Amino acid sequence: MYKTEIRGPLILGNKSLGQISEEITSPIYQRPKMWWLVGMGISSILMLLGFWAIYVTISTGIGTWGVNNTVGWGWAIINFVWWIGIGHAGTAFSIFLLILRQEWRSSINRAAEAMTVVAVGCAAIFPALHMGRIWDAFFILPYPNTRGPLWVNYNSPLFWDFIAISAYLLISASFWFLGMIPDFATIRDTSKSKIKRMVYGFFAMGWRGSSWEWKRYEGLAFVLGGIAAVLVVSVHSIVSTDFAVSVEPGWHTTLFPPYFVVGAIFSGFAMVMTLMVIIRKLYKLNDFITDRHLDNVAKILMFVSLIMGASYLTEIFIAWYSANEYELFTFFRNRLTGEYTIQFWIMFICNALVPQLMWFKKIRKNITAIFIISILINIGMWFERFNIVVTSLAKDYLPSAWVDYTPTFVEISVFLGTIGIFATGVLLFFRYIPMIAIHEVKMVNKLKVNKKR
Amino acid sequence: MKDQKQHLMGVFDGEDPLVEAFDKLRDEKVEMADFFTPFPIHHILEHHGRKSRLITVSWFYGLFAALGVLAFLYYTAVISWPLNFGGKPSNAFPSFIVITIVLTIFSVTILSLFTFSARAKLWPNVDKRIYHEGATDDKFVILFELDQIDEQKVKSLLKDLGAVEIIEK
Repeated sequence: MYKTEIRGPLILGNKSLGQISEEITSPIYQRPKMWWLVGMGISSILMLLGFWAIYVTISTGIGTWGVNNTVGWGWAIINFVWWIGIGHAGTAFSIFLLILRQEWRSSINRAAEAMTVVAVGCAAIFPALHMGRIWDAFFILPYPNTRGPLWVNYNSPLFWDFIAISAYLLISASFWFLGMIPDFATIRDTSKSKIKRMVYGFFAMGWRGSSWEWKRYEGLAFVLGGIAAVLVVSVHSIVSTDFAVSVEPGWHTTLFPPYFVVGAIFSGFAMVMTLMVIIRKLYKLNDFITDRHLDNVAKILMFVSLIMGASYLTEIFIAWYSANEYELFTFFRNRLTGEYTIQFWIMFICNALVPQLMWFKKIRKNITAIFIISILINIGMWFERFNIVVTSLAKDYLPSAWVDYTPTFVEISVFLGTIGIFATGVLLFFRYIPMIAIHEVKMVNKLKVNKKR
Repeated sequence: MKDQKQHLMGVFDGEDPLVEAFDKLRDEKVEMADFFTPFPIHHILEHHGRKSRLITVSWFYGLFAALGVLAFLYYTAVISWPLNFGGKPSNAFPSFIVITIVLTIFSVTILSLFTFSARAKLWPNVDKRIYHEGATDDKFVILFELDQIDEQKVKSLLKDLGAVEIIEK
């Protein structure tokens, strides 16, 4: 324990334990505010638009999209990778910061995990639709069938992807839910409303906080945390093999797995930052999500941005060093310059250059500035996936097959729909679930109280 | 199945008084049945003989799941119906590894969750006696079974140790 406070307390305001429960659960008892209803309205409209587009896609077919024989992976795969990347932050926050004993994670991990679950759900929509004939989707499962039995191709990264995403969705949802059990019990025991006691009591599953429960709880958290750490790295590596295992110029590189994992953590942390600033502003949880928390996330973003920049430069360097004419063409004529140059430079500036502003303490302390940077990162990460998917496919080996690609309204609507689903999910989370892990914050708070003595 | 026994509860309003009381009661050899706290108190978990085999069990789940998945992949891809994918060997071991890792994680998660649920008796609508509602908020509770303790002695001890409430239930 430190005798001098160098880093300042994690939870401000010298709160008692009762106060912590009360302040964190208070949004659940309030009537929904105007901004919440408006937000819910807008996101529901987006969601409906998305459902319409999904209906059109399923009933008519992929022909309603702008994808063609050459650019077979359009917005669907861009958005899939983008969402799955955002969905990496929750588990990364919970697991890596848990392993590294970073106690400041406890104010943020709940929201990050909630975001993960919704984002991975949004991501899963795209490959499901893109496969076409979604009613035959069960063919992807290796089950004893009457066609042989004909089993699936285990060498295909697309099959790995299917398993990886299912596993990731399951484990992040269960990790999230596990963390909430004691907090649901808190609501069950402190709420005055009979319905809330019943509903939250149902999900609390008889949690009493007994020593046996805590012992097993911590054991399970350890197991899930340990294996999820492996999963975080492997899921996005597997997503990257969707690309890297093919022989497209610009995709066929060994850099892809680490590059994708880092990119995922980058976009996920940026989304966490965006959400944290919003939560702080709207629910006045500044005592729990302090300036220091945001400062820490900003520092991580700044550092990861360096890795992103290094990856971009490595790709370009290797293309030049390989002297392979197709690689040279893809990177120098089709990304750095050429038709897609704007998309390339948006990616480069938003991901590699702008976050470097956060070296300055003044910028890190300016909430508006980091909020804008975090949104720019998310835009930049979308364009990174655009760069990877579209530039390589549109102009590969055979010039006679070169084709332009423009998304149709249906394709764009599916994307807007997933943004609606995400926003709806997050708003429901704000309203009905404690946004901060109450019992973890109580533990962290205790550490500081002890230190003061 | 609700617990019908008679209990005594010592309620404290902080972790430090609870730990202090725990040490003192342990020295006095008073039998303590359970503790209810808003967050895990590791001192008590360690010294009150709370041992969980969940981690060991999960390790075995992982071992069996990994072997099971590998065996399944081998059976389907090599024995049951070998397919020729571009002349690659049917037993594509490196490809199997990726699937094995992820499916092992998948199985360990599900099996560990169910084990936890069964052992800690946590499932929806479980019929459990909630001894003290403050224990999930800001109260720290020690539970005694009345037939195992000398009631008067424990009550006076609890009072000396600064219990904010002493409840018989």
